Amino acid sequence: MDLAVRDLKLHKGRFLATVLGVGLLFTIVLTMNGVYRGNVFEGTALITHTGPDLWVVERDRGGPFNEQSSLPEILADSVAAVPGVAQASPFIYYPVERSIKGVSRRFSIIGYEVFGGLGGPRELTRGRPITQAHYEMVAHEKLGVRVGEKVPLGLHTFTVVGLTREAVATDGEPLVYLSLADAQEFLFQRDNEEVRNQRERQRRSLAAQGVSPAQVERLLPHLAPDTHIINAVLVRLEPGADRVQVATHIRDWLYLSVFTTQEEVELVIRGRLARMSAQLLFFRTLLLLVSVVIISLVIYTFTMEKIRSIAVMKLIGAPNWTVVRMILEESLLMTVSSFLIGLGLIYSIVDLFPRKILLLPGDTMFTFLVALVGGVLASVLGVWQVLRTPPGLALGGQ
Amino acid sequence: MALLEVQGITKVFGHGHLEVRALDGVSLTVEAGELVALMGPSGSGKTTLLLCISLILEPTSGTVVFDGQTIYRDGATWLDVRRLRREKIGFVFQTANLIPFLTARENVLFPLTLVGTAPKVAAARVMELLEYMEISARADYLPALLSGGEQQRVAIARALANRPKLILADEPTASLDTARGKKVMALLKRIAREHRTAVVTVTHDPRMIEGFDVIYHLKDGRLENSPERT
Repeated sequence: MDLAVRDLKLHKGRFLATVLGVGLLFTIVLTMNGVYRGNVFEGTALITHTGPDLWVVERDRGGPFNEQSSLPEILADSVAAVPGVAQASPFIYYPVERSIKGVSRRFSIIGYEVFGGLGGPRELTRGRPITQAHYEMVAHEKLGVRVGEKVPLGLHTFTVVGLTREAVATDGEPLVYLSLADAQEFLFQRDNEEVRNQRERQRRSLAAQGVSPAQVERLLPHLAPDTHIINAVLVRLEPGADRVQVATHIRDWLYLSVFTTQEEVELVIRGRLARMSAQLLFFRTLLLLVSVVIISLVIYTFTMEKIRSIAVMKLIGAPNWTVVRMILEESLLMTVSSFLIGLGLIYSIVDLFPRKILLLPGDTMFTFLVALVGGVLASVLGVWQVLRTPPGLALGGQ
Repeated sequence: MALLEVQGITKVFGHGHLEVRALDGVSLTVEAGELVALMGPSGSGKTTLLLCISLILEPTSGTVVFDGQTIYRDGATWLDVRRLRREKIGFVFQTANLIPFLTARENVLFPLTLVGTAPKVAAARVMELLEYMEISARADYLPALLSGGEQQRVAIARALANRPKLILADEPTASLDTARGKKVMALLKRIAREHRTAVVTVTHDPRMIEGFDVIYHLKDGRLENSPERT
């Protein structure tokens, strides 16, 4: 005979209300888990999907995802010449906000060498990869464009030739792949007005230094800003090459920073995501504590309401464990039922969130175990009340 | 040998100038199958005596011998008192004190599960008792759906579940009208006679103890005169 089930059956209204309330709290806890994991997933998906053997960035920078890294494009050739390097490709990653179909959208541009270079999209859901040097783009499905659509970006109009969904930018926004040259032009080339203004500033500056007008006109094209800038060089090693040795060579001889994909992932997690992780952990802990407090108060109230019955049980010889087990089971039943409601709810609404909520079985299991421990703790007040109830209370006091 | 021998039981609450002597050298004996009534005004120590007999409350001094075993002597007890209560003593209270979330059947079953009775045997025993108490038709009702008299009959069935040698009843008719009260007392008498179960009952009401074998009168924690034997 299960005393806990019988008791809860009698108080099913209150039981259901409690379970629903605490279940909603568990939904939030599980959502927080998913938000954190989703952020880590989105924040690192591009890094792991791109997945070169080494990332070469500006010296003492963690970039290109953690902070800005700028390198001259020519350095890709220097890296390619390092012993053990099979391929070195220039890579651009740059978050922007531009108008797409009349709506201001945030997305990130990736520029890569479209003819065999590293860093391009691996799998397309529709269309084809970029096959021309200019004015073609592959976009993430989240951007909301279709294959064949013309999208004006900067000074040019690009044709969407393919769609992907394999990775998003580190901030969860969609990616747009362009050829390296297009990306450089789009990101680093100023508009005509700005170019004219700069030329005029330079012309005056040179004239003020006593340079003749003819010399100024000859010099001006050479003073135009360089757009052959990249953010990183992606490296594929030769089979059997020592990753550490190659990285050391690049660091020592080219004065650049080098990271493996795993190190780059850790940089992002330790950098941008660390504080958010701590924030969410704190929030999750608070919510779990609130859940435990609510359950313990409900259990305590349930216990106090049947204190006379508990005295009767003890008086007719029920061992403490029989009564303690009833309280414990009630607490655990409430915890488990609430958790199941929370779990069911989060799985049914997970796709409605604007950003990825990644629910991992390990996290869910861990939260469940913490909730179970909380359920046991929640029964402590009730159990304490059981242990101190004198059996004589059943007879109307001592 | 008497089933229950209580010798010189004293129970003192508090100490110093706050000391209250609830029982003062009370001695009594109860034979198997005997019907014993404890009478006296409120505060005379009747309930305290029941609690001390069943060791729910530990006496301050004295001796309690039950079923040939000294279960208490001058501040010491040598056995598992809860086991003693669940195996050998049944309780009937002023109000039925049924467990509200268990049906009548489950309330009677509960003490049987405590002693590990096999489920089939226990189920048969429960039905036997409910039929004996003429309440089997309401076996699956929760206590809240039973009348006061029906609840008290279920409570008696529960007290009888483990075939106790002694039933301690604390004013079992107090919450019932006279007719229902008399029925309950008649049941207790029948049980004592048919099962040779001793019944010690506390009551205020002399009308309820017609036919009892022994009547003890308590006043200020002491027994008045000798017991009345009928």
